[in-house]
Order: sequence, then C-alpha cells, then structure tokens
Amino acid sequence: MAGKGKFIFAGLLILAAVVYLIVTNTGSTAHYFLTIEELRAMGDRAIGRNLTVSGAVLGDSIVYDPTIPQVTFTIVQVPADPKEVERAGGLAAVLHAAVNDPDAPRLEVVYNNVKPDLLKHESQAIIRGRLGEDGRFYADEVLLKCPSRYQEAVPEQAGEQ
Amino acid sequence: MLAEVGVLTLGLALATALYAAFAAVLSLRRNDPRWAESARNGVLSTVALLGLALLLLLGAFLTDRFEIRYVANHSSRSLPLYLKASALWGGQEGSLLLWSFLQALFAALALTPPPAPSPLLTKRQERGGGGGEAAGGRVRLWSSLLLNLITAFFTGVTLFLSNPFALMKTVPADGLGLNPLLRHPGMIFHPPALYLGYVGLAVPFAFAMAALIVGEVENWTRTVRRWTLAAWLFLGLGLLLGARWAYDVLGWGGYWGWDPVENAGLMPWLTATALLHGAAMQEERRGFRIWNFLLVSLTFALVLFGTFATRSGMIQSVHAFARSNLGPYFLTAIGLTLVGSLALILRRRHLLEERRPSESLLSREGLFTLAIVLFLVITGSVLVGSLLPTLTEALTGRRFEATPEWFDRVTAPQFAALTLVLALCPVAGRQRLEARRVVPGLVGGAIVAGLAALSGFTRPLSLLGFALVGMALGTALTEIVRDVLARSRREGENPLAALAVLVDRNRRRYGGYIVHLGIALILVGVIGTRMYPLERNLSLTAGEPAQVGRYTLVFEELRQDLLSDRLATWAVLSVYRGDAYWVTLTPRLERYANFDQTVTTPALRAGLREDLYVVLTGWSADGATATFKVFVNPLASFLWLGGLVFLAGGAVAFWPSTAGARLPVPQARRRAIGNTVALVAGLAVLVTAGVAMWGPGHGATSQPSGRPLPGQTAPDFTLTLLDGSTFSLSGQRGTVVVLNFWASWCPPCEEEAPDLQAVWEEYGEKGVTFVGIAYKDEEAAVRDFLTGHGITYPVGLDSTGRIAQLYGITGVPETFVLDGESRVVRFYIGPVTADQLRADLAGLVR
Repeated sequence: MAGKGKFIFAGLLILAAVVYLIVTNTGSTAHYFLTIEELRAMGDRAIGRNLTVSGAVLGDSIVYDPTIPQVTFTIVQVPADPKEVERAGGLAAVLHAAVNDPDAPRLEVVYNNVKPDLLKHESQAIIRGRLGEDGRFYADEVLLKCPSRYQEAVPEQAGEQ
Repeated sequence: MLAEVGVLTLGLALATALYAAFAAVLSLRRNDPRWAESARNGVLSTVALLGLALLLLLGAFLTDRFEIRYVANHSSRSLPLYLKASALWGGQEGSLLLWSFLQALFAALALTPPPAPSPLLTKRQERGGGGGEAAGGRVRLWSSLLLNLITAFFTGVTLFLSNPFALMKTVPADGLGLNPLLRHPGMIFHPPALYLGYVGLAVPFAFAMAALIVGEVENWTRTVRRWTLAAWLFLGLGLLLGARWAYDVLGWGGYWGWDPVENAGLMPWLTATALLHGAAMQEERRGFRIWNFLLVSLTFALVLFGTFATRSGMIQSVHAFARSNLGPYFLTAIGLTLVGSLALILRRRHLLEERRPSESLLSREGLFTLAIVLFLVITGSVLVGSLLPTLTEALTGRRFEATPEWFDRVTAPQFAALTLVLALCPVAGRQRLEARRVVPGLVGGAIVAGLAALSGFTRPLSLLGFALVGMALGTALTEIVRDVLARSRREGENPLAALAVLVDRNRRRYGGYIVHLGIALILVGVIGTRMYPLERNLSLTAGEPAQVGRYTLVFEELRQDLLSDRLATWAVLSVYRGDAYWVTLTPRLERYANFDQTVTTPALRAGLREDLYVVLTGWSADGATATFKVFVNPLASFLWLGGLVFLAGGAVAFWPSTAGARLPVPQARRRAIGNTVALVAGLAVLVTAGVAMWGPGHGATSQPSGRPLPGQTAPDFTLTLLDGSTFSLSGQRGTVVVLNFWASWCPPCEEEAPDLQAVWEEYGEKGVTFVGIAYKDEEAAVRDFLTGHGITYPVGLDSTGRIAQLYGITGVPETFVLDGESRVVRFYIGPVTADQLRADLAGLVR
C-alpha cells in the first residue's frame, strides 16, 4: 500500500516538527525552576537567565508604591518537592515554618507592577523573572497561592497579573 | 438531621449504581431481559437519589445550615439567593456531587432505547448498518455496565473522600460566604457547562468500549454522535465562559493564561474535536475505526486527567481545588481507562483493520487524517507543557517551566497548519485536491490580510495568520454560494430559500461550516490580542490627561461607597478619541473586609477594532492621584463574537434534520415536541452564554457630551442671568472668561465663594468676565447665597442641568478658565483658590 507510506511519512514529519518546536522553545522561553537555596548555590551564573523561583512571602517586607507602580517583598526558602512538603505536614505548615525561620535563605523581589491581590503574609509565590546584578530578583510575573481556608475556592488565574 | 439524610442518600445512590452494574452483568450472562430491565431501574433510582442529595444540599444552602462544613465554607446569610444556589458547585465537594448526578442522569438518558429506528439514518447508512436487535441490546448492556461503574466511582469519591454533608465540630453563627471572585455570571455557568461537557464525554466512551467488546464496531459513532456533539459544545461553552470570566473579573487584561487547569479543559476538547471529525469520516467512508477508538479513549482519559489536575494539588497551579488526597484514585482511574481501552483495541484489531487502500494525502480523507494528527500533536504539546517541570526533571534533572510564551510559540505553528487544512477541506475531492477550487481561498486570504494590513496590523507573522483565516473563510463561503446557486438554478427557488433547504437537509455539513466560521473569528481575535498587545501603567492627578494609543484619558475624580460587606472605590475617567469626547469609564476596586481580598472590576469599552480596558490599581490617601493599568486589546471582540457563532454552528449541527423523516403520526408528534424542547433549551443556552459574556455593564457609560479638554474650544451656550439679561459665550470673543459651576447647597462652593469674589474684584475691571452657573438650583436659595456671601459677579440658573451636561460636569463645584478665543486654559474639579485663579489669569491678562 503506497498510500499508507505517504501518511506515515507525513505523520512522522509533523511529529518531528512538533518535537523540534518543543525542544527549541524549552531551551529559549521555558523558565528554569529553582528554589531559593538552589539559586544561591548557582552564584553569579544565575544572573540574567530566565528563572522561576518559589518561596513563602514575608508579610512585613511588602512595600508598595502605587504611583510607579512597584512592589518589593522578600520570599523565604520552601522545598519544591511535593513529597517533602507532604512530610512536613502540608503546604500551609511549610509556609508557616518558613516565614518563622530566621536562618532560611531569603530573596528580595522587585516587581514593577500592581500589587497582586493575593500577595500577603505566608502566601506561596511562584515568581518568573531574572536575578539582577544587585542580588535582587526582578519579576516579570508573580503567581500566588494562599494557604487560607478559601484556597479551594480561589479559582483560575486569581493571582495572575 | 439533614446531613445524615444526605449521607444516607449518597450511600444508597452508590449501592444502586453498583447494583445496576451488577444487574447488567447478570443480564449479559444469563441472556435475561428481566435483569436488563432491573439494571435500568437501578440507573433511574441512582438518578433520583443523587438528585435528592443535590436538592438536600441546595436546601441546606438556602436555609443557611452552617452546621454543614461545605455550606459554612461557601455561603453566608447575606449572600443573594442566586449566589447561594450557585455556591452549590463553588467548591470541590459540591461540584463532585453535581458531577455524579449528571453522570447518572446522562447514563439514564443514553441507555433509554430509542422509540423508533433513529430518524437520523439515511438510506446509505442503513444499507451497511446490520448488527440487528440482539447485538444492539448487548452493546447497550455493556455500556450500562461501564456507565454505572463510572457513576459509582464518582459517587464513591464524593461519599468517602469529599463528603459535602460533613459536619462542623461547632456550628458557626454565619458562613464564610462565597469568594467574591466567583460572584460573576460567567463563573455561575462556567462550572456546570464544563461538567456537562466532561460528563457527556463518558457516554461515547462507554458505547465505544461496549461496541468493541461485543464486536459491533461500525455503528457506535452514529448512536452517540449527538452525545459527543453536545458534550463537545458544552465543553466549548465552558471554556469560553471561563475565558470571559478571566477577562472580566481578574483584571490582568487577558483571557487565557495557559494555566495547567485551563489546559486540562482544553485538551479533551481538542481530542473530542478530532473524534467528531473521525466519526464523521467513519460514517462517510467506513474507515477511521482505529482512530476513533483511540480518540474516544484518550478523550475520556483526558477528562479524568482534568479532574485529577484540578483536584490533586500535584500540578503547580495558582487555583485548583487544593486538597490532594484524591490524586491516587484518579490516577488509578486514568491508568485503568488507558490500559483497559488499549488492550481492548489490540485484542479486537482484526475487526478494525481498514478494508480499502488510503486515498491521496490531499483528498478529503487525507486532510481529515491530517487534521486529526494535528489535533493530537497540539494536545500532546499542551500536555508536555503542562507537565514540563516533571518531564524535564526526569530527563535532565533540572526543572523547566513552560511560560505562556512557550505555549504560544509551540502551538501557534501547529494551529496555523490546522487552519490551512481547514481551508483546504471544503474543496478537497474524494480523490485529490482540485487546484482550480483553491483560487477563491487565495483571494479570501489576500482580502483578509490586505484589510488587516490597511487597519495597521502589519507584522508579517500576523499577516500570515490573517491570510490563513481569510483562506478558510474564502473556500467555505465559495462552496456555500456555489451550492446555493446550483440549487436555486435547478429548482427555481430564490437563493435564500435554497440556502434554508440546504441547511435543513445537511445540518451537519452547514453546522460544520458555521463552527469553522466561528473558529476563524476567534483566531482573528487571538492573533490581534496576542500579537499586538498594548499595556500602560499610568499615575494621574485629577484633571490630568494622558495618552494611550489613540485615546486621551482624563482622570476626573475618585468616589467611594461603603457597602455592608465591602468598600467600593471607583475612578471616573473621561476618554477622548482625538479631540472628541468618546466615553466615560469607571474602573472599580472592591475591598472585601472578611475575605481580606480585593476584587477589581475593570472598565471595558469594547469596539470591533479594539477594546479599551482600564483597571484601577491604587490611589493616594487624599484621592487626588490614582494609578491605572490600561490595556488596548486589538480585535478582542472577535473572540466573543466567534464564540457565539461557534455555539450557533454547533446547535445547527446538533439539530435533527426534518428532511427524509417519514414517521407514523404519534412518533412524528413526539419528535416535534422533542425538537421544541431542544429548541427552547438551545436558545436558553445561547442567551445564557450571551448574558454571561456581555452581562451587566463593565463600567462604561456614555454621556451626551464630555468636558472640553485644555486647548479645546468650550461649547457655546446662552444663559439667562438673575438680572434678566442674557449671557452668551459666543458674545464674549476677545474676553477672558471664568465659568463657575456651583450650587447653593454645596459646602465646598461656600468655601470657594470668597476667593472667587476676591479675584472678580481684582480682575473684573481688567476685562475678565466671571459667570456663576447655578446647577439645578432654586432661585430663592441662589439669591440668599449671593446676598449671604456678597457675590457681585453675574449668576444664572441652569435649572435643567443642560449647560452642565454640555460641559461634562461630574459634580459641583467645577471651574473653567477660558481664554479670549473661548479655549479651555484650565479646569478645576472641587473648590478653586484665589491663588490658583490669579496664577491662571495673570498669564492671560496683560
């Protein structure tokens, strides 16, 4: 069946194109996902790269200037591995422990945008951006999750700006 | 008590669902129709019991039974009635209960044998039909077994893992209320629409597997075609409403963020789309069997994956229901579905092999195959993107995360290829593509791309996209016109009548055309919004204009209102296009104290070319300065317009054709009733979608006229002054004029009165004219005020507010300083001081 060969060839061609798209875009536009600890361990190599960092928000550190607008805040190391989170008693417990641990690694975040509604003490922040020369993290996007009792009702995109 | 009855009802429902499955097995084994009857009764009891559980929960919401945890967490006494009802599915427990009920209901409907041979059968299809009554009965029984097991799974999960009737340890006085973000019409209808889609897709899955087991592999697509179509439509509606809700409520200017949970809804929709095409081909060509069995299994597995993704907490996502104890159960169900269906397909592969050699790649059949492959690779890409952190960690030890940009770049070329296939499909013959018939497509592509370029959309990649969309429109429209003209010439009908007959006889084909038209419109919106985004952060003081795109925005003032549960703050912005007043926008921020949450309501002025979308983001303590996020979203209206066209096309395809049905009277009557019911339901869904998408106003109001901007000529008016003379602005050429809008009842007006009088005394003799315009006031009160404050400059009554409207006054006092050409030099909102006026006039008077 000559016809079948054609189809298989076309299918493989499409598949190869898609794999190529995925691989190249993963190299260029995907974000390297890190904890604060891992970011610190990278040292200067981390500067300027597309990164995603997660951590617990320190409520007292939030400074918001609505006229620019710019919000700066500090996040604290939390483990990224879901199993580790589970062992430590769930996300809420992990976030609570993190913000009360003075020795945990911290990271100052600068976000030139409007303060997201869900940015508050002990919320989990997932931050996309780049590490600056000054050691501060310049965010393009901040995703937030609150361990509040409303968590289940906070729907799609609620933290996205 | 209510809670205990609820749990008992759920338990009984689980038992009846399992019994129905058991009875189906017995009926199959013993070949006894009485057991089949009993299985049917079991299904009906499950529907009744789950319906009762749902009603009990609804009752609990309506009567504020806060001893039930789910009610306490999602409702409160002050919540409006319709929101109490929609809170029913506002959280995980209730949504699972709704899911179980719908699953049972659909099982009951799908398993009810049709009263007559399906009127949808055309002669051609009937010829190869075969199978007979017995095989049909066995397929039905196997489907019953599978559907009942699925119902039992969801009921069991609801009862044991996510019980909506669980009690609180202590009964709170009031509930926590519904999350304010969910109080939006889009959010009220979005979850049920999605669930109807998800649940509906279980029906074709069950029938397909049953068909495989029995070995009757040809006719199942026809039996469940309308189920697939309806489920697919509802899923599409759910996705649209979700996008609209995000656009309306979340205030980030977008509608689709490639979030894992959004993706979880999109993926089964994509594979279901592929399935619809495969099923159409199977009926047309008797091919595509393997494809269809794979697609139906994959779709159902993705439905389960969707619920898993939303509820397991295993996927990094901002939203989702948070608890994670459901994960393993859903993973098991997904694994069972995939392994079971694949094993079945393998065992029955001898039945599924193609009997005929394939056609050319560019034949109708070849293009359908390409389309299905593209749908599959797009789904695969989205899946890879959603799981990218996990996948890259397993492969390279490093976690990479897919950004929205990643998804855009990976899927856009694939969607473009799919659009090309869509454009070629209508003109592909059975054997090959006729080059001649592609010409209208090329013309269409050139026209749309040309129009886009003329409107300023000139980026090459977007033009390619527009050209593809135009090509799809061109070929489809040409084919329709050709058919209509041919019929109209042949039958001597007028073209409109010919079109009506053609649509009626070929519902699926023309419904398909309309759906494709809707998709093309949506694509226009996607290209516009994704490739030409304009976003600005503004910080404005009152009266200050700012330029965004072709708009001038003037921040007028900030207003606040303290409501029972929230503090609402909104800004009044006058928007000008060029020099002309266009619209007044009022973006809002509502602060809910007991949620510690702020809800932004963007102000939206939608236009065909672009949407102006303004979000209030903050303000200074004195209210004089406010910050805004302004988005100009090109072609965004096409998204929602395309969405409605898409739904309408789906409805046309869903509609049973009236042609060729020669039924006995009672059945014809029953069908007529059924059609009417379907018509009403369909219209209700469309209206609901329309309301939810364009619901209550989005902060845009138009006034007959707007405040003239600095530099613009002030509108002319005449005013009868208190001394009986007439003042007309046009009579004041060459004179500097100060216009003061005020009212005798307004304290700030009293505050500024001495200042105005003082400046009048200084500048009146230098040729400056002062005019007080009393806004909607009583003559006696005005005279009292003037005497009381010793005002001597001329004052007149604007009793109807006509002049105030002309000047776009938003409150009193407001003051305009005009130069000798009657152009606005400056205006003041609120009381003006003598120093401010002196500074203005010093520059104008020598």
